[in-house]
Amino acid sequence: MVFSSLVFMFAYLPLTLLIYYIVPRKGRNIFLFFINLVFYGWGEPKLVFLMLFNILFNYLGGFLVDKFRQDEKKKKLFLILTCILDIGILAVFKYTGMITETLNMLPFLNIPELQISLPIGISFYTFQTMSYVIDVYRDDAPVSKNFINFGTYVALFPQLIAGPIVRYRDVAYQLTHRRESLEQFTKGVKLFLVGMGKKVLIANQMGILADSLLAENARSGVLGTWVGIIAYTFQIYFDFSGYSDMACGLGNMLGFEFLKNFDYPYISKSITEFWRRWHISLSTWFKEYVYIPLGGNRKGVKRQIINLLIVWGLTGLWHGASYNFILWGLYYGLLLILEKFVLKRFLDKLPPALQHVYTMFIVIIGWGLFYFTDISQLGAFVTNLFNFGNGLCSNTALNMILSYLPLLVAAAVASTPVGAKLYNQIKDRSWAWAPETVYCAAVLLISTASMVNQSYNPFLYFRF
Amino acid sequence: MVNTMNDNKKMPAGNLARYVPAILFLAFVFGMAIWFLFAPKKDYSSSEKRYLQEFPDTSVDSIASGGFGTDFESFFADHFPGRNMWVGFNSYYNLAIGNNGADGVYNCSDDYLINKPVSETENYIERNMGVISEFKKKTGKPMTVLLAPSTGYVASDVLPLIHNKYNDNKYIDSAITTFAESGIDFVDLREPFKNAYEIGNQIYYKTDHHWTTRGAFIAYTELCNRLGLEPASEEKFVKEAHDGFYGTTYSTSGFWFTPPDEIEIWKDPKLTAQVKITEGGNTSDFDSLYFYDHLEEDDKYPVFIDGNHALTEIINNNAKGGTAVVIKDSFSHSIAPFLAENYKKLILVDLRYFKNSVSDLVKNENPDQLLCIYGIDNLATDTDLAWLQ
Repeated sequence: MVFSSLVFMFAYLPLTLLIYYIVPRKGRNIFLFFINLVFYGWGEPKLVFLMLFNILFNYLGGFLVDKFRQDEKKKKLFLILTCILDIGILAVFKYTGMITETLNMLPFLNIPELQISLPIGISFYTFQTMSYVIDVYRDDAPVSKNFINFGTYVALFPQLIAGPIVRYRDVAYQLTHRRESLEQFTKGVKLFLVGMGKKVLIANQMGILADSLLAENARSGVLGTWVGIIAYTFQIYFDFSGYSDMACGLGNMLGFEFLKNFDYPYISKSITEFWRRWHISLSTWFKEYVYIPLGGNRKGVKRQIINLLIVWGLTGLWHGASYNFILWGLYYGLLLILEKFVLKRFLDKLPPALQHVYTMFIVIIGWGLFYFTDISQLGAFVTNLFNFGNGLCSNTALNMILSYLPLLVAAAVASTPVGAKLYNQIKDRSWAWAPETVYCAAVLLISTASMVNQSYNPFLYFRF
Repeated sequence: MVNTMNDNKKMPAGNLARYVPAILFLAFVFGMAIWFLFAPKKDYSSSEKRYLQEFPDTSVDSIASGGFGTDFESFFADHFPGRNMWVGFNSYYNLAIGNNGADGVYNCSDDYLINKPVSETENYIERNMGVISEFKKKTGKPMTVLLAPSTGYVASDVLPLIHNKYNDNKYIDSAITTFAESGIDFVDLREPFKNAYEIGNQIYYKTDHHWTTRGAFIAYTELCNRLGLEPASEEKFVKEAHDGFYGTTYSTSGFWFTPPDEIEIWKDPKLTAQVKITEGGNTSDFDSLYFYDHLEEDDKYPVFIDGNHALTEIINNNAKGGTAVVIKDSFSHSIAPFLAENYKKLILVDLRYFKNSVSDLVKNENPDQLLCIYGIDNLATDTDLAWLQ
């Protein structure tokens, strides 16, 4: 189930909220545990077993690590076993296809290709459960004494399928002590609708624009290709951060607080800054659970560079089972190393506008690597960015761009904190509820219309 | 460990009005959910011309496979309260943010809703013209092709400022060359249509992709001139007009505030024709070219020869001409009554539904003439013409 669907908005959510608030506080986690599984298994119920298994062995792993707290060796052994199982499951379900395809490139191998469909959210919840066991091992988080509470955390539907990656330690206290309030609920509603607006009003539309301009044989011309990838740049940000906002908002409605996942990444003035603002929960995860354990920057420059490349190669791979994602990760790894050791001094002297142009240029090209999973299409795309063989802009591309120009401008403005700054000016006024309500009503109406429209499929060649 | 929840309590305490967004949200979400529960469920959507999803199967198998979840989502969406209202809202919203239309239809001036030009990437027009040429060679019968230009090409003055190019000129020029090489006659409707449109005739419906009866009559006259037949004169017909026609571009686009078209029936009081409709091996006989039941519906175009069927035969024993086999799409339906003036037997074959050999049909019927009547957009997007063999 996804948030921007009618079934979620008008069946699952009202039912969940209704029962959640009727059930006495003690029973709320049990109810959440159950309803999370319904959410997760909605499209493919057998995945519920995978989820339960995941919850079970990580719970057990945490328990054993805690039990042998005094025995360094055993403690480490149980940590490693749990992590191997976590990564193993992720590898089987996510990377089998990629691995067999790679091995089959060897002339003497011919492994039959297994069709394993990717269980939704597996990359997110695997990282969550690993953070738990590692934190227990490091004594950064208390061991969970209650299976239901732990399961509620792992499968919590707001952040289950697209993050943010919530660390156990950040919600451990909330799991047992949260106190829902109308204040927090209202905040959650507003945040949810901000996210819904990002997703439905901007991201979906930008997706249409990007796909049509970047289609394999679109021949959009240089300008058309640039606008195409810029539209994709907007799409991916508004889609992803919109989903995070919806997750945080839903969390609020249930009394949880999650950490911010995006902080206006497109206003960054360097790649280093960009990665401090983009998908914060993921970069934090890699920093804490991979980069620092590898030695971080404490073992000399050479080792630091290797560590950075490992972390960024893995970050890329995490995004998808395809080589272009590794390429995308390494691209950022290299640029970050370059910035850290060479470019930083020069960048700081540039006027801020140029720093911003530099950053966005790299980010936009980066999304090209991300968009094209096929390497030859990627090559064609890079050529199209600079080669005027297809002209500056085809007629069709120009029409498309002009039709979406108002939204492109809106997306650019919405990528900056301007809106938030304006809102902060008014939010404490006694009449702030009025513009808030107007905004909420508009997003609700337009999103509902858009969701209904997706199901409207006139059949033209009907026969009586 | 930080208890971030306490932060909430520090928010300024104002009046209760600050909860209004949440109250609105809950009222809306619960309101729609309850409305959904109690609203009567329809089985059929007339604007989409399709049956709606029934309540899904609740068997263990269906639930375990996830089929229930998927079907339930369709069920929920199909029966969502005020569904068509939402669709319209979405279309007008898209119009407002700068798109010139919705769902492949331009919202034009003078209340026209016109299909966007067919895409150049999924375009089979060359292939389909090749198939027609091959068929003509194979059967060795005289053949004439009549293509209706697209509405946007003829009524170009009503199109929105930003619109994609209609490539009718390119397609028709290419058709002229291709067909000339295969000895096929081609009726070029560009000039006659543009001229008639310019002096104020309505050649196409405003809410539908088809030509009007006037448009069909002009096409008929041009076709007869090309075939050396004497076209029936306009005076011969008694015209009746029926209001409230909402066609395909209306139902696709969701621009519900567009006024309906009028559909005209031009009836020759002296003509008596039998219509035989064959569908799935069953043939039914009718004694009228017009099926008035369809005037009760929003989409009234099927009033002509009952709309789409695999095989439709029209017999007029008083006509001078012989037999013609027509390879066609729905544009032929409104021109067929005029052609019945000239042919004793018209056999209309729709390759979207007719899956037998048309060559065999031609062999058996031994027609004097083959006709091919298509809307140019349909010819460019049709994937069933490959069955023509």
